[in-house]
Amino acid sequence: MKIRRFIKDYVEKSKVKGIVLGLSGGIDSSTVAALSALAIGGKKVLGLILPEKETYNEKDVEHAKLVAKKFGFKTKMVDITPTLETFYKTIPNFDPDDKVCKGNIKARTRMIYIYYFANRHNMLVCGSSDKSETMMGYFTKWGDVAADISPIMDLYKTQVRKLAQHIGIPKEILAKPSSPALWPGQLAETELGIKYETLDLILYGLEHFMETKDIAQQLGIEKTLVERIKSRWLSMEHKRRMLLTTKLEYRTVGADFRLPRGEY
Amino acid sequence: MENKIKLALAQISCKRGDKKANIKKMEALVNKAKKQGANLTIFPELSLTGYVVRDQIYELAETIPGPSVKALEDIARKTNSYIIFGMPELSEKTKATLYNAAVLVGPEGLIGKYRKMYLPTHSVFEEKRYFRAGYQAAVFETKIGKIGLIICYDIFFPEVSRLTRLKGAQLIVCISASPAIRKAFFEALTIARAIENTAFLAYVNLVGIEDGLQFWGGSRLVGPKGKVLAQAKYDEDDLVMCDVDYADIKPVETFVPTLRDLRPELFDELKKHAEEL
Repeated sequence: MKIRRFIKDYVEKSKVKGIVLGLSGGIDSSTVAALSALAIGGKKVLGLILPEKETYNEKDVEHAKLVAKKFGFKTKMVDITPTLETFYKTIPNFDPDDKVCKGNIKARTRMIYIYYFANRHNMLVCGSSDKSETMMGYFTKWGDVAADISPIMDLYKTQVRKLAQHIGIPKEILAKPSSPALWPGQLAETELGIKYETLDLILYGLEHFMETKDIAQQLGIEKTLVERIKSRWLSMEHKRRMLLTTKLEYRTVGADFRLPRGEY
Repeated sequence: MENKIKLALAQISCKRGDKKANIKKMEALVNKAKKQGANLTIFPELSLTGYVVRDQIYELAETIPGPSVKALEDIARKTNSYIIFGMPELSEKTKATLYNAAVLVGPEGLIGKYRKMYLPTHSVFEEKRYFRAGYQAAVFETKIGKIGLIICYDIFFPEVSRLTRLKGAQLIVCISASPAIRKAFFEALTIARAIENTAFLAYVNLVGIEDGLQFWGGSRLVGPKGKVLAQAKYDEDDLVMCDVDYADIKPVETFVPTLRDLRPELFDELKKHAEEL
């Protein structure tokens, strides 16, 4: 309810026509799209399905359409493969084997498509990042995380799963393992090296100022694992708090210019 | 002095940084409350400006008295009623020393102000960055009773409410801007402060969303026995009328005589240990 109210309030204050978001067919974007539709009505929500040939999965597209049908919002599918191939061809030092760099192009290209629709139709971009991946820095800077509002960023993945179930996201989507789909076969839990059930409890402990040894003890896990998660969490702040400059003058952007955010 | 009064708990969302719009909204609500017989209409903490205005607070703050207070005095005069609201106060002697203030105006004009003593500066709160803390409890004797003023986080410190009660307050008014995750604290503390002081406690909280903070409303009047006598909606604008009968205080003061049983010698101990914490 709080999330729906937040979305509705922000859309109204921003005086925009609606919300656009990337729709992967996964649990996070399905949940955010559904919540948006519940908050402002499906007619004002557009889900962009942006597949590309390397990671194309028919099931994901089906799932995206399934959620759209159930919650009554619009979708549009655009194949971004030709755009990506142009990047691959024209970036002079492009290395096809560096999958992270290549994957980030995909996330950032999707961002460009989504923001084009937002600008063109006076809509807000709604992000689908959750708290687990945000704390881990498990996202592409200026890519999938780029949004005007991020309604579920304060909920861990395990909480999002419960929320998704609660609002009626179809169970085939709930059951799927999470993937950013930046390269074929990429799975979030494999890449992070930990199950979300454990990760979220560690992050919850860190959020509540618990010491690593106490977290390890309470969860019955190795302290080194907790320390690895903590160090990753801390080292990723640069991806969460952007626009860094050095203090030179009286009031500085990002440091001590403390202004109300306003709406859009 | 009146023995029975009618309060209006005017729980509003504010247009941030727009004093004119907020005063207009207050005026409409005072008029509406007056039509329903209200003697006193209470608005939330920083209701003149909105709560999350950050660095803009320097240009929004005004002295008391000042132009916005004058506008509210005029509304009080026109409606022959009393108003309590919150605003950032600029100290008259400086250019940028601010207080988080509660202001009481009535048909007779400006009656008084209270400067918040406990400024939350933790979690999402950054009040000490902007405000200087007040030093004095505030109780005002009016035609509608002896009214003590406190603001939001003050309610976590029983000594603030206690001081207003010891100075004679029968009605403690707590104006507030509390975001949603703290609801349970305030719902317990409003009742506790009323019981331990055998006084009425009116709590008026902000609603609306400012920079992602969702203010939960839930304004209420608690009687001297701790009973919730009136309760506003959660999360949305509301205007709740309720009655205060000061005659209810006496039977409670004999039933749970917390004031008779006060032990001032413990306060020295408290002071000593608080200083050593």
